Amino acid sequence: MAKVLVIADIKQGELKGSTAELLSKARAIGAETAVVAIGSNIESLAKDLADAGSDTQYIADDESLALFSAGPYASCVVDAARQSNANLIWFGFSEGGKAMAPRVAAQLEAACATEITDVVLEADQITVTRPAIANKVIQKVKINTERLVAVVRAGAFEAAEGLSGTRNVVKLTAPEADLKAVIKELISDAGGEIDLADADIVISVGRGARDQSGVDLVKDLAHDLSAGFGSSRAMVDSGLMAHNKQVGQTGKIVAPALYMAIGISGAIQHLAGMNGSKTILAVNKDPEAPIFNVADYGIVGDLFEVVPILKEEINKIRG
Amino acid sequence: MKILTTAKKVVDVELTIHVENGAIVKDGLQYVINAWDENAVEACVQLKEKNGVDTTLVSLGSGDNTDMIRKCYAMGIDNAIHIDDPALENADSFVFAKVLQKVYEAGDYDLIITGKQAQDTDSGQTGIILAEFLGLPCVSNVIAIEVIDDGKIKVSRLGDLGTEILEVTLPAVITVSDGINEPRLPAMRGIMMAKKKKIQVMDLEALGTSYDEVGGGALKSEVAAFMESEKRQGGQKFEGDAAEITANVVGLLVNEAKVF
Ligand SMILES: Cc1cc2nc3c(=O)[nH]c(=O)nc-3n(C[C@H](O)[C@H](O)[C@H](O)COP(=O)(O)OP(=O)(O)OC[C@H]3O[C@@H](n4cnc5c(N)ncnc54)[C@H](O)[C@@H]3O)c2cc1C
Ligand SMILES: Nc1ncnc2c1ncn2[C@@H]1O[C@H](COP(=O)(O)O)[C@@H](O)[C@H]1O
Repeated sequence: MAKVLVIADIKQGELKGSTAELLSKARAIGAETAVVAIGSNIESLAKDLADAGSDTQYIADDESLALFSAGPYASCVVDAARQSNANLIWFGFSEGGKAMAPRVAAQLEAACATEITDVVLEADQITVTRPAIANKVIQKVKINTERLVAVVRAGAFEAAEGLSGTRNVVKLTAPEADLKAVIKELISDAGGEIDLADADIVISVGRGARDQSGVDLVKDLAHDLSAGFGSSRAMVDSGLMAHNKQVGQTGKIVAPALYMAIGISGAIQHLAGMNGSKTILAVNKDPEAPIFNVADYGIVGDLFEVVPILKEEINKIRG
Repeated sequence: MKILTTAKKVVDVELTIHVENGAIVKDGLQYVINAWDENAVEACVQLKEKNGVDTTLVSLGSGDNTDMIRKCYAMGIDNAIHIDDPALENADSFVFAKVLQKVYEAGDYDLIITGKQAQDTDSGQTGIILAEFLGLPCVSNVIAIEVIDDGKIKVSRLGDLGTEILEVTLPAVITVSDGINEPRLPAMRGIMMAKKKKIQVMDLEALGTSYDEVGGGALKSEVAAFMESEKRQGGQKFEGDAAEITANVVGLLVNEAKVF
């Protein structure tokens, strides 16, 4: 029988949506489910972790784990993987997950696959599906080891309704700190902003917005709709948007119910980060912009004119 | 200080890629340096200019890598090694990391800089696995590197909560994001000099290892088949009076897409 260990995605003390999505998938394939949560002052999450659909909760709660550090965090995962004897170890899509997964795999001598969109178990054979080459192809990857460590792509699995688990907390001892890669400072992203990964609506701004006034215009719309506010790389390169706002192959991968691309041309590296969105709306003044090849709704026009109208029209509807 | 950096020759992602019978059609493909490795090379060359470090590039793969390596020479890399062996054809990240381990151990390097991911695999594993094999500290997704002294560097990485600033003891492995720099276009002088430089080409045996030792015969995972990715269909595109078409689209978002 398959045993899945899900690494809980916790941000600022809160459990993120990917945890329930991954546990739902584990349940759907009939697996036993365990979850590992790492951080400081997180014991109160035990109930949420069980409610998300886990049978066992491994919790590493220690002051030394307050800030992410790939080495010690990965050690906690390895510990939980060994104790639970899980053969499928799943991270939700996050920078932390991407940093930990190969370490965990190397330590467990397991195979490692990132950005997987599906996993199939037949007899003892594990096969995963994942995009590669900037989403231009899909790979079916045969796993030759008994164990697989994987990072699941955003939006790949859906959270089931009404899942519940059993509360069975196992405390993990905190590993030693990594003295060779010491975190000195965390320059936190502007507080209070909506997390791109969790937002139902993501609105991204591209070079078409030109300058700060254009950025502010789009940001204002995002604010009004309580949407995540993202960016193309061009805007990050120009310094108008922060690195962590970049959506794309090398930035954040998002799959919201609605994605708005405002003044973005639609380069493949950008598309690779958002083409899993349910509905895509594009605003671009160039009718030939490649973004229109993927957008469900395209508005050909000047964003400086269109965005204020968009805002007004949507506000009308939402009252 | 000596830095080892890695560069992979990958298929140009800007061109159309066709799949037939579970395999990528090789005809008409073009190959370029992996974009993130270009950032790694640039990072190395900047450290060379600022701190006088010695830079070595290594590329693994079978076949001709001369153009790519010459480009890196032209950007300012000092030495280049190409491990050219047919055994590397279907290698996974663990195999590449094992070979890189051998290369590292044959030199005397203080720092390894890799790209954060290869454009053909989009895996993002090799550098991190290499660090595990070597028992070295590793920081991934790095956007800035600064030398503190012979034994320490300061790096910034993009994490989930913001920019993390770390002090790292050397030797170490760093994987870089494209946000770290803008790779230079080589100057004519560099291009001319690059033509004269030697590339050290060797196979696994010359490196002192073998197909079995690097795990070539026991791949942890392998691509069983490639498929075309599902193309998203474009939908409706509206041109004309901004107020009219925008109101129209908002109506569709409500009634058709049901997002509000
Ligand atoms: C290895 C690698 C990784 C990359 N990763 C990413 C990534 O993760 N994310 C990413 O986004 N990019 C990434 N890129 C960059 C990518 O190739 C593009 O360069 C980038 O996405 C372009 O951003 P843009 O669409 O904002 O700018 P542009 O391509 O310059 O497009 C601007 C668009 O705005 C439109 N426009 C101009 N004025 C107006 C106006 N007034 N009103 C409406 N529309 C207007 C124009 O018609 C144009 O279509 C990567 C590139 C490489 C090589
Ligand atoms: N064949 C190779 N030759 C040189 N470097 C490689 C090779 N494969 C992977 N790398 C390095 O490892 C990084 C991550 O690759 P990957 O794990 O495939 O995403 C790349 O950006 C390269 O720097």
